[in-house]
Amino acid sequence: MLDLIREISQTIKNNKLRTALTGIAVAWGIFMLIVLLGAARGVINSYENESSSSSVNSIRLWSGTTSMPYKGYKDGRWIRLQDKDMDAISGEVSAVSDVAISTSASGFNIVGPKDYISGGFEAVYPDEARTQRIFDIDGRFINQKDINDHRRVIVISRDNAALLFGDADEALGREVRAIGLSWKVVGVYTHRWRKSSFVPYTTYKAITGGDGYVDQMTVRVEGIATADEAEETESQVRSVLARRHEFDSSDSNAVWIWNQFAGYLKQGQAMIYLNLAVWVIGILTLLTGIVGVSNIMFVSVRERTHEIGIRRAIGAKPGSIIVQILAESVAITALFGYIGLVAGMAVLQVLDALLGDSQGFSNPTVDISIAVQVTVALIVAGAVAGLFPALKATKVKPVEALRDE
Amino acid sequence: MNYELGEAVISLRDINKTYPGVVPLHVLKDVSLDIRKGELVSIMGASGSGKSTLLNILGILDNYDSGSYILDDVMIKDLSENRAAELRNRMIGFVFQSFNLINYKNALENVALPLFYQGVGRRKRNALAMEQLERMGLADRAHHLPGELSGGQKQRVAIARALVTKPSLILADEPTGALDSKTSKEVMQVFRDLNDAGMTIVIVTHDPSVGAATDRIIRIVDGRIETNDQLSMINDKRLIIDC
Repeated sequence: MLDLIREISQTIKNNKLRTALTGIAVAWGIFMLIVLLGAARGVINSYENESSSSSVNSIRLWSGTTSMPYKGYKDGRWIRLQDKDMDAISGEVSAVSDVAISTSASGFNIVGPKDYISGGFEAVYPDEARTQRIFDIDGRFINQKDINDHRRVIVISRDNAALLFGDADEALGREVRAIGLSWKVVGVYTHRWRKSSFVPYTTYKAITGGDGYVDQMTVRVEGIATADEAEETESQVRSVLARRHEFDSSDSNAVWIWNQFAGYLKQGQAMIYLNLAVWVIGILTLLTGIVGVSNIMFVSVRERTHEIGIRRAIGAKPGSIIVQILAESVAITALFGYIGLVAGMAVLQVLDALLGDSQGFSNPTVDISIAVQVTVALIVAGAVAGLFPALKATKVKPVEALRDE
Repeated sequence: MNYELGEAVISLRDINKTYPGVVPLHVLKDVSLDIRKGELVSIMGASGSGKSTLLNILGILDNYDSGSYILDDVMIKDLSENRAAELRNRMIGFVFQSFNLINYKNALENVALPLFYQGVGRRKRNALAMEQLERMGLADRAHHLPGELSGGQKQRVAIARALVTKPSLILADEPTGALDSKTSKEVMQVFRDLNDAGMTIVIVTHDPSVGAATDRIIRIVDGRIETNDQLSMINDKRLIIDC
């Protein structure tokens, strides 16, 4: 083995330029593969972070205006969602696991001991925290018990808590006044830009008597795997509403629907294609390098026909010639491939440091398992690249090879 | 000088060889030949006479169509590539006109190479190679590359390589063809000395002075052995070389 390594290093040293040129082709192939994979990983990571922090498996609905006449009604009719629609949807559409409604109440102040804020609040269900992506909460968000017991509780933003109480940390457990009643602060949330205050929908409705009209509805779906299924669920929801509110179920303006889940699935599909495309491009780039190695090994065998003849004449068996050429090919591919691998990883580290968690790009790194797979692929590729030239080398008859000068 | 010639190292019987082609070329015709242990023989012939083909068959570098070839009690016929390589390695030492040294290996590594293919360890093969280089008076050139050696030195390195496996015979193909007359004489002297030490040597040449320096000249004309002259014992063969 040691002898073989010595033989290989000697022939490589003897052909520095040729080896370097081949090596660069392989290193470049691997480098591109790793950088592409890492970059794609960055995009995919960013997308996954994004989708895990939002309520992706939901369909959101808003009131709209009809755009086509239906059963004697003319177009332009305002279709307002009602809280009763909630039960109809969850009862009739099988994929729906939960429906939450929210509506905003305005025209009054929320008054704290230090100051007040004008505007109003949103009457919501517990799921609203997910929909509005409110995760950073001191205390808690509205829960099911609040809904069931019609509790007078409120969740406010940190900025508003600071305004109302002078110190945001003082707010939790204390009371504010709104629409003539006191509300207990059960949660103080932090969000980049949201400032709304939230109360349980049922409490609000019980207090105000309410007309049952709501601003928006969020339908959560389960057991759906494809964008087509998500779209099918969307049309089922639309049909239920069309029947209840008497509009044409093909009228997409009557109720505004944002099918986040279909979008998510489509995007997921796009990510799979992106990943696939990156692999294909990377492997093709790598293949160019491998073809280069094979080509160079052919040239090397051609150049060394005479030497191979000498070796055969003095007793080299065909097997030992094959082993030597294969080993040379594998050594060149593995060595330069490793250089490309390390360089690619280094570039990804720099990208990570520079771009980090910026928009649309997050943690652009390649798993160690991918690195191992690529290394194994390299060694196999090196062997394949060397195999044909090696077989060709053994077909050369010693007599002819010795004549070749 | 008395020669204790032993049994046949090489025994050829009715060897025929034809190269296929549009017009098949019958290069060797019923060649029969014995070369005994300890002989120094030259095979002479004009270009195209078939002497190189004969050398290649003797060296197990090429096959023959019919007849039989026994080398040191081993039947050389229809051998696998591996077996042929093994026999070449163990039984035959080659010396070529153009030396055929590997140019990026130094003298010692070139000489040691046949032992590498026998699986001999590095230390031992270097020691054996050094022994042969010393015998050729080239110990101080052991670490020089072929490009740094003179023609005569290169040929002596090649002879050292041929000897390193202690073969049954040495086959030399125009060993002085690339050398000037002075160096040729030196190289022929090396062969003479080896032969004196008991080595069987077959030299293919078209140079009459080389042929004359051997014990026996086998003349090959148009694929047939024309004469198989046992040179009359001359008291001092070096005299012929000097002529």
